[in-house]
Amino acid sequence: MEIVKTENLVKIYQDNGVPVEALKMINLSVSKGEYVVIAGPSGSGKTTLLNLLGALDKPTKGKIYFEGEDITLKEKSDLAKIRLHKLGFIFQAYNLIPVLSAIENIEFSMMLLGIPEKERKEKALSLMDELGIKELADKRPNEMSGGQQQRVAVTRAIVNNPSLVLADEPTANLDSVTAGHLLDLMERMNAEKNITFIFSSHDRQVIDRAKRLIILKDGLIES
Amino acid sequence: MLLKLAWRNIWRNKRRSLIVLISLVVGLTAIVLTDGLSNGMMRQMLFNQINLDISHIQIHKSGFNNNKIVKNFIPDYKNVEFVLQKNPGVEAYSKRVFATGILSSANNSSGVTIYGIVPSEEAKVSIIKSSIIDGKYLGSGKREIIIGKKLADKLGVEVGDKVVAMANSSKGDIASDAFKIIGIFQTSNSEYDKMTVYVQAATEQDMLGIGDNYHEFAVITKDYNKVASIQNNFEKSLGTGYEVYTYRDLLPMLIYQMDLYKESMMILNVIIGLALIFGIINTMLMSVFERIQEFGVLMAIGMKNNRLYLMIVFEAFILGVIGTLAGLVFGLLLDIPLAHSGINLSIFATGLESFGIGAVIYPVLSVGNIINAVLFMPIVAVLGALYPAYRAIKLEPIYAINYV
Repeated sequence: MEIVKTENLVKIYQDNGVPVEALKMINLSVSKGEYVVIAGPSGSGKTTLLNLLGALDKPTKGKIYFEGEDITLKEKSDLAKIRLHKLGFIFQAYNLIPVLSAIENIEFSMMLLGIPEKERKEKALSLMDELGIKELADKRPNEMSGGQQQRVAVTRAIVNNPSLVLADEPTANLDSVTAGHLLDLMERMNAEKNITFIFSSHDRQVIDRAKRLIILKDGLIES
Repeated sequence: MLLKLAWRNIWRNKRRSLIVLISLVVGLTAIVLTDGLSNGMMRQMLFNQINLDISHIQIHKSGFNNNKIVKNFIPDYKNVEFVLQKNPGVEAYSKRVFATGILSSANNSSGVTIYGIVPSEEAKVSIIKSSIIDGKYLGSGKREIIIGKKLADKLGVEVGDKVVAMANSSKGDIASDAFKIIGIFQTSNSEYDKMTVYVQAATEQDMLGIGDNYHEFAVITKDYNKVASIQNNFEKSLGTGYEVYTYRDLLPMLIYQMDLYKESMMILNVIIGLALIFGIINTMLMSVFERIQEFGVLMAIGMKNNRLYLMIVFEAFILGVIGTLAGLVFGLLLDIPLAHSGINLSIFATGLESFGIGAVIYPVLSVGNIINAVLFMPIVAVLGALYPAYRAIKLEPIYAINYV
């Protein structure tokens, strides 16, 4: 089953009035259960592509289909709904909400879905247990290491059983051992839960473990 | 959870939140105090007038209020007395004879209003008896008079001295009588003290030649808020030939002044509110700009604009509620003792007395004032958060996430 597909995707930014073509005619299709890494040098358009696939940004030209539905021209609120129900995000800087504990951060997206408190607490704890971070439940982000925060972020990203998890340079701020553990975790989620992952990264370790590798260069898919 | 998040966001920057809270507390305390003080002043002005001579309701012969001549006495005062005694809303009443004239001493003379009263009745409707500062209140003596302190000073007389009162009689000639001053009173209204004297009703009736008739009934009701319905009852029971006025009819300027004062207090509250709103807008904008990236993350994980908006408004609302509670406590802690001890404004005593207010003001807080104050700050806080919240939801997720 095709999760996300792009057709002739173009993104042009205005940089101080000068148009910059970040993506040029990208045609891409990712199916359910894939584990994809988009690699390429800085400025190649990795993050731009990920943002478009994640319904965070709109293309200048071309189309994006999510689970077969054209989302290119959807309203802001419809895109928020898609992100809430279908997508999970993992950021380079973890981006947990600093005033919430680990379990509250995980619960937050369930709260947005209207899941009752008791149910979401049980679900969050059960998933944290499964991912081996249950002891972090009551810790705030500033009381956790980078690796721990990113594990909580992964848990937050998958807790609503999304169709697709987008991870933007998830290991960039981690040492190689911690990064390895985190990748193990995501690989396990991909294998056990059939969650589709799309990474953007130029980390060798991430690239080496890709089941499908897409190389971007100057806004074009090279291979 | 949104409330929990809003609550925790408030305490991220404790110093900033405390500054906002202090401004809200000071604002609300000021509102509670000024409301209490102005309310107290207005009530004192009104009650002083009521308790001096206006009372809650006055009954006269029709046309008397516009033409206070001696001949305009009540044609059948016993009928009025009967109606008053039958009405359960009446607390007390006093029959009065009324004349304007001149009071002369050996040294000076002055224009006065001469009230002829039944002393025991008048003591139940006015504060004259309790306002005696020298000598005593009227008793049974026929040629006794009590006068105001200012008038005594002007005439250069004291208790025991003799004065002569002159007024037009019912026949149109000049009637006069000599009186011995047995008491001097001082009220909170110096103008009243300069213009008013009291004698026995029977003596004044003789002097004016009006038989045993009276010009006025001054009525105190059990509940002054019900004067309008009692007025209606009196008018129906008495029929034509009488005029029945409430204090609101008799003190139009004072009522107007009170309304004006209330409105000016509202304007003052709005000014305080506006100042606070701009403070809150500033603080909330700072708070929003500090969290742009976080809002981007919240949008990325699917938070809709309405929830984001609500969260920011909640933060301000919580600040408003805390500020209200603390401000109310401070305001009441200051207000309640002052309501008992009063605020001594004796340095302004002369000015206040000419307005009919005593030198000591007793703040009065009504339930309405408290409800207004309680609603005021959270509303102000929410209004102050609307624009910052609008700015937050206008952010594009991609811009917000990448904001540094």
